[in-house]
Amino acid sequence: MSAPATPLLTVDGLRVASVGGERPLPLLDGVSLTVAPGESVGIVGESGSGKSLAVRAVVGLLPPGTRVTGGDVRIGGTDALALGPAARHALRGRRVTLLMQDPFTMLHPQLTVGRQIADGLRTARPRGRAARAERRAEIVRRLTEVGLEPETADRYPHELSGGMRQRVAAAAALAGDPELLIADEPTTALDAANQRAVLDLLRGLQRGRGMGLVLITHDLRVAFSACDRVYVLYAGRVLEHGASAALESDPRHPYTAGLLASEPSVRERYAALPAVPGFVPAPGERGTGCPFADRCAHVAPECRTTDLTLRPLPGEDRSSACLRLPAIRGDLTAERVPEPTPEVAEETAPEEAPALDVRGADRVFRSAAGDHRALRDVSLSVPRGTVLALVGESGSGKTTLARIAMGLETFDRGEVTVGGLALPAGARPDVADRRALAERAQIVFQDPYASLNPLRTVGATLREALVAASGKQPRARADAAVEKLLAQVGLPAAYARRRPAALSGGERQRVAVARALAARPRLLICDEAVAALDVSVQAQLLNLLTRLQREEGFAVLFITHDLGVVRQIADRVAVMYRGEIVEQGSTARVLDAPAHPWTRRMLDGLPQSAGAGTASGAADA
Amino acid sequence: MTPEAVAPPAPHRRRSRSPLAVVCTAVVALLAVAAVAGQWLLPGWADQDLATGVSMPSAAHWFGTDELGRDIAQMVVAGARSTLLGAALVAVGSMLVGNVLGLIAGYHGGLADLLVRRWADLLLALPALLVTIVVAGIGGGGYALAVGALVVLTSPADIRLVRSAVLEQRHRSYVEAAQTLGLSRTTVMLRHIWPNVLPVVVANTLLNFAGAVVALSSLSFLGLGVPPGAPDWGRMLSENRTLLYDNPSAALVPALLIIVAAVALNLLGDRLFEAFTDRGRS
Repeated sequence: MSAPATPLLTVDGLRVASVGGERPLPLLDGVSLTVAPGESVGIVGESGSGKSLAVRAVVGLLPPGTRVTGGDVRIGGTDALALGPAARHALRGRRVTLLMQDPFTMLHPQLTVGRQIADGLRTARPRGRAARAERRAEIVRRLTEVGLEPETADRYPHELSGGMRQRVAAAAALAGDPELLIADEPTTALDAANQRAVLDLLRGLQRGRGMGLVLITHDLRVAFSACDRVYVLYAGRVLEHGASAALESDPRHPYTAGLLASEPSVRERYAALPAVPGFVPAPGERGTGCPFADRCAHVAPECRTTDLTLRPLPGEDRSSACLRLPAIRGDLTAERVPEPTPEVAEETAPEEAPALDVRGADRVFRSAAGDHRALRDVSLSVPRGTVLALVGESGSGKTTLARIAMGLETFDRGEVTVGGLALPAGARPDVADRRALAERAQIVFQDPYASLNPLRTVGATLREALVAASGKQPRARADAAVEKLLAQVGLPAAYARRRPAALSGGERQRVAVARALAARPRLLICDEAVAALDVSVQAQLLNLLTRLQREEGFAVLFITHDLGVVRQIADRVAVMYRGEIVEQGSTARVLDAPAHPWTRRMLDGLPQSAGAGTASGAADA
Repeated sequence: MTPEAVAPPAPHRRRSRSPLAVVCTAVVALLAVAAVAGQWLLPGWADQDLATGVSMPSAAHWFGTDELGRDIAQMVVAGARSTLLGAALVAVGSMLVGNVLGLIAGYHGGLADLLVRRWADLLLALPALLVTIVVAGIGGGGYALAVGALVVLTSPADIRLVRSAVLEQRHRSYVEAAQTLGLSRTTVMLRHIWPNVLPVVVANTLLNFAGAVVALSSLSFLGLGVPPGAPDWGRMLSENRTLLYDNPSAALVPALLIIVAAVALNLLGDRLFEAFTDRGRS
């Protein structure tokens, strides 16, 4: 790492603040990092860490209402912050380029793929037949570089899958042959099967071209699999920095260690995930000292009073901001007690009234654009008191099935029985059926920001659910019941007076769980209920759900795309692909010995540990 | 489960008030006082002084007098009532119609939605002011008729607005969660959807208010609104425009007030609209 050459990128003490409010709120508080030519560097952090802001400040594309308030950014020796808008614009695409998260919105929907790549090429607009042919050949070469067929050049973005779009976006970003590619969560919006392919592609491109790569991600595994070095950001500060392999096997900051331990593993199940308590403090609520102090198990008084500095560790090419490192070094790696994945029979035993029983369900969505068969002859059963995970890529029909079971969506054919209550085919359930359904099944939705009525307090939301389930009751008794529900999901009773806006994402999901529990359902459907949460908060919620399931004995239909979560929580797994259940069985069997090629592809698509990334740029799309 | 570190509630930050919003609010408040209490505070507005007749602004008559020697300053204050109360009635009436029909159409869908939408389309296809003129003309004019016709003709835009706002909320998870609790459709509609639609509706009502001020003044100007002799800005503008060389303020002051009222209400409505949609986004 001690490259004598000028680094591609040097960021020194960078400060960014939001300037909209009464006083500026610091969002980034002195972030320093370097990227050498031909090196790949990861920036890892949960939401609110400021990782995206840092690179947006580098390329001069900060969102409105934020401003650089200090520090230094040098791109190849040029002071980027001193440049005017035109000069900065000239830097983008040629020296630095940005690859965004969402492959569905970052391409121009009305231009062909070829046109979008051509726009970034350095050569002038072609004149004459020969020049045009040459340009066409160049576009084809660029497409081949990212593993796409030449014909893709004439297609429009909407004709391509998410993974293919991300490849096109990479080709377009690289058209100007930049020295540094910054990729902001490039795999987050992709299905499991595509994640590793895109990471391998980026890694391959970076090595093949000898360019620098900065990869921003919330997922430590992703960073480890594609980067030489990793910076761990938290609440606008760098807490730890070092080589991927060293960080993965031997973290030197409690936060990094906590993140690693919170991550469910697809290979092993644990008695409980050692979740980091609490959540990232909001800007403006970060006191002096270490921003992680409030959540740290090793906190000491001096952590809150001493200014945070990232110190190089003697004799090692890495640094940590933890004051107490010498004292706690041995205790950093949290104990995770492995637990055998439950042994259950391959087939579900026939039962009197299973929590959910679906037989041969079909659902076709008709529209002017054509029919979409969301469910094809789907059969599955969730026995009472068991956890079934339903996995599959986005658009495979998982959510449609959940909505049908909740009476929010109709089905065309087949039988759907919830706790012995048969739902009518082809029609929404009537009021009586919906009441009966409410005490049998409840649902927790994915988006914590949409699942609570923003105008009602937490208490009002929970009281309403209680009254709906067991009728009107005196206020004092309802309040006691609300308090009990909040306690069950690990929230203080005072939260009853809060509105959703004053709650973090994880807390909102807890309230959503409490609302579902108010009806004392026999089946709880979790539709990607932890997918939108940060890893450390996700672990808290998984632990909570596991505990509640054991205590209350309800059955769970857990819809997810995350196989690590499946291993951690499920007794059985059903794999869905394009509206069909392609594989079903015990969690241990499906994850350890998958039978269907699609299941194998999903398992292979997971990012591999450090060094395992291959340089194949032409993996299947 | 480890106990969570409990963060203090995020302080509720008020958006900084712009001077323009303060001015607009003050103007609207002043106009409201004039509309409610103007005729009571200045009972002398109707006193005629035919000997003086029309006169230029003076210390005794700030904006001069009209042909009948009535004080223009007092008349415009008294005239706030017919212009503003009528417009407020139009805005509120249209809001009520829009809310009821928009909620039903947006939440229930199906046939109800189809019928309401066709009805709104039909009304939208009619030129509102022209139809009101025709209706008022056939009905022999009259203030109540003009207000009623404007309510009917302003409501389709409100129906559409409420309907689309309801559609936006209807598929939010919190609405579906309320449905899966087994609550009745009416409860879900009134307790969960409607309060979340309301802010947009309130802001829109202010915009309608501004439009109705102009529309009602136009009708009075054409002689289809208030009866002759009544204090009304539109009527004053119409009757006093012949006095432009004898006392220009007799026509210009009511004209200016129509503009000021409409602009202030519009700006306030716009600002509320932005504030609410902003909040919805964050």
